[in-house]
Amino acid sequence: MATLATTYGSSPALLLNTATITSTDGESANVSKVIVHPIVLLSVLDHHTRRQEGAGRVIGTLLGKRDGETVEITNCFAVPHAERGDEVAIGKDFNRQMLALHLRANKRETIVGWYATALPDEQANGAADKFKFIADTSSLIHEFYASECEDDPIHLVVDTSLVADAIELRAYKSASVAVKGEVLANIFHEIRLAVKSSESERICVDKMIRGADSPEGASFSQEEGEALKLSMEKLLTMIETCSAYVDGVVSGSITPDEQVGRDIFESLNSIPRIRPEVFDKMFNDSLQDLLMVTYLTNITKTQLTIAEKLNATLGK
Amino acid sequence: MAAVMEAGGPVTSVKLEGLAALKIIKHCQESLPTMVTGSLLGLMIEDGVLEITHAFPFPEPLDDKGDIVKTAEETANVDDEAAALDGHEFQLEMMKMLREVNVDNNCVGWYQSMYLGSYSTSSLLENQLSYQTDLSPNAVVILYDPMQTAHGNLVLKCYRLTDEVVQLKLTGKNNFINPRKIFQEVPVTLSNPGLVRSLLRDMGDGLHGSCGAELTGADTTFDRLDLSTNPYLEKHLEFLCSWVDDLAAEQYKFQHYTRNLRSSAGGDTRKGRKAKDEMAQAIEEGWARADAPKRMESLLMSNQIRTYCDQVEKFTGGGFGKLFLTSGLHKDDDKKAS
Repeated sequence: MATLATTYGSSPALLLNTATITSTDGESANVSKVIVHPIVLLSVLDHHTRRQEGAGRVIGTLLGKRDGETVEITNCFAVPHAERGDEVAIGKDFNRQMLALHLRANKRETIVGWYATALPDEQANGAADKFKFIADTSSLIHEFYASECEDDPIHLVVDTSLVADAIELRAYKSASVAVKGEVLANIFHEIRLAVKSSESERICVDKMIRGADSPEGASFSQEEGEALKLSMEKLLTMIETCSAYVDGVVSGSITPDEQVGRDIFESLNSIPRIRPEVFDKMFNDSLQDLLMVTYLTNITKTQLTIAEKLNATLGK
Repeated sequence: MAAVMEAGGPVTSVKLEGLAALKIIKHCQESLPTMVTGSLLGLMIEDGVLEITHAFPFPEPLDDKGDIVKTAEETANVDDEAAALDGHEFQLEMMKMLREVNVDNNCVGWYQSMYLGSYSTSSLLENQLSYQTDLSPNAVVILYDPMQTAHGNLVLKCYRLTDEVVQLKLTGKNNFINPRKIFQEVPVTLSNPGLVRSLLRDMGDGLHGSCGAELTGADTTFDRLDLSTNPYLEKHLEFLCSWVDDLAAEQYKFQHYTRNLRSSAGGDTRKGRKAKDEMAQAIEEGWARADAPKRMESLLMSNQIRTYCDQVEKFTGGGFGKLFLTSGLHKDDDKKAS
């Protein structure tokens, strides 16, 4: 599926959805994988929610670092822009100023590309085509970012239309199509995209996912016991699923899958075999440590209360 | 700092948006081992709920304003004037720019990373006091603990100063105040707008999984089952020891001062009742003098020690549970095996 249209003044955009086309332009390191942090996605959605009345889509700059074949996008900020028909205006000064402010806080991030949300397409016939991922103006914006960014910029599109009943994310890189030295168009290749987060981000996102159902959101006052119970229940269901699978295979009702069997075997083997005496010793040691620390903290707290009472009377 | 429009009523709970939380976490985590601060933007809605929608970090202070190290990449694209801003001006500039993209332009507080729960320091008190007096009595401080956020726990707390302590500080007296009444914890909930929630559901289902063989999804249920307790306890005990030492030193200062006062006010108690009253008054004046040791220090310290103790108690409670569970499972296995 390719759309080609001429735009006013510069190269049009071509969208090819296959990932089998290899880039013949060998000067920059070939980017084959893009990693996005959840904060970037949340920021894009927030910008989209706050967009001006009548704006079809929003754009912004992606910050991150490039590591050979992988580009990791760790931060982003919004850039005001206006597009009408085939013309597009981007806040260049805004971009530079924001970049400077951001770099003050974190010197290790550089511009790696730009993001945009899906563009509503008035000329489309069917409902499925109502939102375009790449518009003709995209190549203009892409050129601007190519001048700002060191290497080829990455283009991230977040589909906020929810037409497909999910929020889709696509990452593209562009290569120019030249015939006899004359640049005709830009091809946007889709690249593999993965959402990864650091340890603490993971914990926060997990908390948010759990709280996504309730209207109040996730609260921080969850009891330690509650959380432990949840973990144990989950572990139990997983073990039960495995056990049911193994029973099924043994009785012949499920066709055995070697890989699954090997995985189960490995995970069962990873449980360390500890002799009872060794375990008892470990258990008692840990228990004693915990008890001692509890005792110490209780004494300290009592001492503090006494000190406060004394201090209070001194004051009067 | 921009003035905040009051919506009436003191703040009783805080709704933190996922985006702001992630920004805070990212900034604090990246800047380890230094502790960092930043600003919070949001809105005060009715019923005493403060909504925080955005956060941005404060820059590292420039050593010398005219001495900005420029690298080759930076000179091309970076606005030098913006790069030279510091502190307050940075904040104003950032807020101005965010206004252009329709972000809430209200500064409602600040955030800081804390080390293993150490928040009760005089610098935090002073800072929060200036926010609460200059900006709005509803300004809050969000404290994120990068050390304790592990094993599936997210330690993000929100505090503000109680009215009592604000009064005390403003009048400059050296009175006693119950350490537990200095900081007031405000409950925090993490909320997200609709689009983000649908994205989260997709992520929870593993839709945007990795393209390799790494662990997908954001499930931290099993991190909690980790049994190692020692490092956490050791760190806490270390901190407790040093803070208790500091507290003891402060108390000694008080004793010393009281002794001095007593000896200078009235060494001769044989003069009878009148002299005793005079002495009592002199002692009171002595405490009100500017060079009297500040009570607030020791009160803050005892508050901090109490916080450490509470943290350890919470941890050992969970630790006991896990330990007994494991031993129960193990004993069962043993019985089955034998």
